[in-house]
Amino acid sequence: MAVMTTEKRAVSAPAKAGSEPAGRVRAELRDLQISFRLPDMSTLDVISGISMTVSEGEFVAVVGPSGSGKSTILRALCGLLKPSGGHVAVDGVPVSSPPPGVGFMFQKDALLPWRTVAGNIRVGAELGGMPAEEHEERIGRLVKLLRLDGFENAWPNQLSGGMRQRVSLGRLLAYQPSLMLMDEPFGALDYQTKIAMGKELLSVWEAERRAIIFVTHDIEEAVALADRVVVFSARPARIVADYKVDLPRPRHMRAMRSDPAFTMLTEAIWADLALPS
Amino acid sequence: MVFTRTNDASEPTKAGRGSRISSPLPGQVALILFLLVLWELASYYLYNPFWGSRPSLIAQRLWQLAISGDLWMHTSTTLQEAGAGLLFAAVVGVPIGIGLARAPRLARLLDPVIMGLYGLPRVALAPLFILWFGIGLFSKIMMSFTMVLFIFILNVMEGIRTIDKDQLDLMTSMRAGRFYVVWTVLLPAIVPWILASFRIGVGLALIGAVVGELIGSNRGLGWYVESSGGQLDTTGVFSGLIVLMVLAMLANYLIGFMERKIVRWR
Repeated sequence: MAVMTTEKRAVSAPAKAGSEPAGRVRAELRDLQISFRLPDMSTLDVISGISMTVSEGEFVAVVGPSGSGKSTILRALCGLLKPSGGHVAVDGVPVSSPPPGVGFMFQKDALLPWRTVAGNIRVGAELGGMPAEEHEERIGRLVKLLRLDGFENAWPNQLSGGMRQRVSLGRLLAYQPSLMLMDEPFGALDYQTKIAMGKELLSVWEAERRAIIFVTHDIEEAVALADRVVVFSARPARIVADYKVDLPRPRHMRAMRSDPAFTMLTEAIWADLALPS
Repeated sequence: MVFTRTNDASEPTKAGRGSRISSPLPGQVALILFLLVLWELASYYLYNPFWGSRPSLIAQRLWQLAISGDLWMHTSTTLQEAGAGLLFAAVVGVPIGIGLARAPRLARLLDPVIMGLYGLPRVALAPLFILWFGIGLFSKIMMSFTMVLFIFILNVMEGIRTIDKDQLDLMTSMRAGRFYVVWTVLLPAIVPWILASFRIGVGLALIGAVVGELIGSNRGLGWYVESSGGQLDTTGVFSGLIVLMVLAMLANYLIGFMERKIVRWR
């Protein structure tokens, strides 16, 4: 630990704009509290006082033990869930209903089985408010970008899990969100597909630089992809640590794994989560 | 450390598998013919055809009925009753099913009533319906309608219940309007359930129409069966039954065909 080169920010002072040159604040959580009422009328505190901001074009990963409420903050940010206390804002506007420009991607692909690959991607284009005459061109570009060529007219049930998740990513990108909320999007995929999808996500993100909050329980995945890794505690969740990832971009998935900075950072996060190494 | 590469396992060949699943139709036809021959032989050696008729007599009768025009008259009457009842049940049942699925509190309130009516042997309503709606087409349409209505309501409710919640959350997060959600998620999701209701409903609608005809009418396949039975004419009874059976089978094929055309994504 003594030779740690990655900067570990003070836990009590979460990322504040000004500490970095990045642009406008896209998403802001201030002292967020979320608790659920259980069937036996007791309350379950899921989030207790989380504050963090995500700036324009920033790729932030959130890791933490399972059940720690990582996904819950995403649901709060896109207006699917009302927090019990604190402040949630997207682009400076408090969130009460789903805000514009925020796209969500789940672990399950949630594709419409009665729409083809192109048809599912079109959902994003249709809801993103893009003029109808531009749909085809945008869909065609995404199909190529996500290497779905030749499968435009396939039904989702004819696709592998990795391809389905690529379609789901295509739908998200067609929506043209300025903030992408990704809830363990590659969590159900096998290891190799997961690495390949991560690579694809990075190439897309490096081209378009949309802000991303990427929830995962996979520490290596978080470090490999993100600019910042925020570590949640077990329920009720607090922020344990907020690391800046100083690995050069574009990232090379394989070479990076032998980079000492990579190993050190993943080790530090393992330690934060008090997991046996 | 030295890694040695083992020989790649050779891909198992697919040559052993049959090229296509062959059509079951020849086998089905052969089976039916075999059963008919068995029936014919049994009527000569095992029982008196007075009680169970025989296929050759039935074929003769159907031919006579076809030439006289009676076959079409009775068949079209029963088809109209069952068809109208089925369509009416779909038109009424689908919106009720959607409404109840979207208003779970109302659905809970109505649950005992719906299950009570659903559990009621509705054929027992036939005398009432004849009394209320007369001996014409309308009473039989209503019989078919009550037989099938609940199939549509319950199937559509179940179809909506099984919609993936993530799909709806996704639509909400992308700020989809109500109309968009109904059009792209709700309706496509229940189409297979509606078609399944039609498939189950065809038989029930025929039962409704025939029961209505048995109780009070002057035409239709049910009436023909009833009046033949009254004259101890088993050939007539079996002729009517066979036409009804063929109708149900054809309707099933038609709906199966439509399912494959409409629900291509399954």
